[in-house]
This record gives sequence, C-alpha cells and structure tokens, in this order.
Amino acid sequence: MTTMHWFHRAMGRGRRLAAFAAAELPPADRARVEADLLACPACRREVEAYRLVSGTLRTSERAALAPDQAATFWSGVERRIQRGSDAAPTRPERPALRELFWDHPRLSLASAIAAVVLVLGLTLGQMGVWTAHPPAGSNGVEVVSVEAGQDASVMVFQAPGSALKVIWVFEKPSS
Amino acid sequence: MGGPEGPPREPEDDRDLVERARRGDREAFATLVRRHQDRAFNLAFQVVRNREDALDISQEAFARAYTSLPAFKGEASFTTWLHRIVVNLAIDNLRRTRRSGTTAYDDTRAAPEGGDAEPAALEDPATVLETKQVRALLARGIAQLPPAQRAVLVLREIEGLSYEEISRVVGCTLGTVMSRLFYARRKLQQVLREHFSDLR
Repeated sequence: MTTMHWFHRAMGRGRRLAAFAAAELPPADRARVEADLLACPACRREVEAYRLVSGTLRTSERAALAPDQAATFWSGVERRIQRGSDAAPTRPERPALRELFWDHPRLSLASAIAAVVLVLGLTLGQMGVWTAHPPAGSNGVEVVSVEAGQDASVMVFQAPGSALKVIWVFEKPSS
Repeated sequence: MGGPEGPPREPEDDRDLVERARRGDREAFATLVRRHQDRAFNLAFQVVRNREDALDISQEAFARAYTSLPAFKGEASFTTWLHRIVVNLAIDNLRRTRRSGTTAYDDTRAAPEGGDAEPAALEDPATVLETKQVRALLARGIAQLPPAQRAVLVLREIEGLSYEEISRVVGCTLGTVMSRLFYARRKLQQVLREHFSDLR
C-alpha cells in the first residue's frame, strides 16, 4: 500500500474507484481517476478487484423456472389469491439494528463515541471525580432518542437534571 | 450516471392488461403473470439463492400485486411495481432466515434440477477453475451482506437496472442506493483481494 493509496482512500477515493471500475463516472471524473491511477499501483489493483466483482456478477447465470413449475405457476398464484382474502395482513420484517447502521455509518460512529462519553462520564462520576469540581449537578449525559430516517439520523442527548437538550443531526452524504 | 433516464419502459399492452385486471378480469392478470413470471422468479432467486423460496416469493408477489391492484395508480410501470414487491418479500425472507439461523447462499443451483448448471464452453481449464473460484468467493461474500445491500447489488449488477430504477424499486433515495451499492461492492472486492495476492 502506497501513501498515495491511503491518501486516495482518505479522500473518499474508494467510491470513485468503484464507480470508475463499473464505468459509471462522467468523462471528466474518469480522466482524473485515470491520471491518478498512473501514480498509484495499489489503486490499480483495487480497480482490478472491483472489475472482477462486476464482471463476474454481470455474467451470472439467470435462474429459470423448471418446465413443470412454469406450467403450474399461475395456478399457484391463483390459489394464493383465493386464500389471500381470508389471510391476515403480514407485517414486514424490521431491519436489524446492525443493518440500519450499515446505511448510516456516521450514526454508528457517533453512537460509539456517545457510548464512550457516557460510560466515561458515569465511571468518573462513580469515582467521585466530578464532585471535586461539581458542574452544577451534572454527572454525564443520556441519549434520549435516536431516530434513523431515509436522509438523516437524529440523536438527542440530555444531561440528567438539566432542561438543556443537545440534538445531533447526521445528514447522509449526497454521493 | 446509472443508465438511461426518463419514463419507465413498459410494453404498451401491460397497461391495458392491468386496467382489465383492475376491473376484475382474472384472465388478463393471468396473461401478465405468464409474461413476467420468469423475470420475477429470477430476481427472487438472485436475492435469496434458493429455488423453493424464490418460487414461493414470486408467486406470493403476484398474489399481493393482484389484491393491491385497486391501489396501483400506474405512476410506476407494472414491472417496477412488481419488482418492488418481489424485492421486499425477498428481503423479508432473508431477514427471517437470518434470525432463525438458516441462511444460505447457494451458487450452484440457478438451473432447475437436472439442468446444466454451467454452459458448456471450450475454455482454458485454468480460467474455468479461476472463474469458479471467484464465483464461490463472491457467493460467500454476498451471503454476508445485509439484505438491503444484497438486493441493490443484484438489481444493479445482475438485473442491470439504472440507479433511478433501483431507487424506484427499493423505495429509497439515490444517495441510499449509491451508498448500499458502494458498501456491497467494497465488501466483495475486499473478499477477492484477501484471496488473490496479485490483487493486493
């Protein structure tokens, strides 16, 4: 791994390399990445790996119904339609918390930081560190609520015994 | 960026069939089913990688589409709407099987029982072996992806949908589609780079 490679990664270049490999970049960005690749062998190998992923998946075999399944497919649907009128509506499965964090990586980082701050605050509070210099009755913060939306996530903190609330909004990156 | 833009593609008479089915014409809906059953089955299979589950999901998707026809406003094409139902059911299926610990990603059974799993081709044996190895590694990597990322990856890389079409099918923003696709691709390229030293 070269310094240039790590520099590229730090600049969010990973996304650009993935889009370059999939031929999804506009011509201007494409030319810029091509120039960057000349100076970065590790980036070239990363692009190769992305191409191998896309190339292999794009030539995946399509699944086909067996002839008997194709012939009886409609009757299976019809049976379900008949049954459906009596059936209770099913609730969609909720995504696991881990899955939500995959879609909101900044939220997972912020949650981890908030958890560390909270634990540290509580631990120091237990040890009596805060009492030497009492900060007006506060010994840590509580996460009041976390809401993950489509475009942004909102986290609300509050110090116990205080009316002050801190609201963090984590906007999803546009690209 | 992700393919042609503009209104959804749809054969003209899909709309007529939908309209007739909305008025209670069961035969018109049967025609729609026969027309789209292969693609719905393939889409479900590519996400869940299990033939029985894919058959169950695709049939259930058509049944739900039929009962929801009164709510179908025709803003999206019938295909997009159907694919949305299939993908949601497939994601639900993955989440359920993951929770019950029975998840599997079978890359060897795209063809029906008794059919050819691999097309016969006169290729260099080393290349064939490497391709099989890559497919097996990717299969393992895909099995570890969260269901929503897996669905977006399939819609883009296997079904060849544009970003806009994927956004309509999965019902999320373009940014979320891009994000999910990037994390999925990154995970898979990492899997390959861990295995093949010349990609490191």
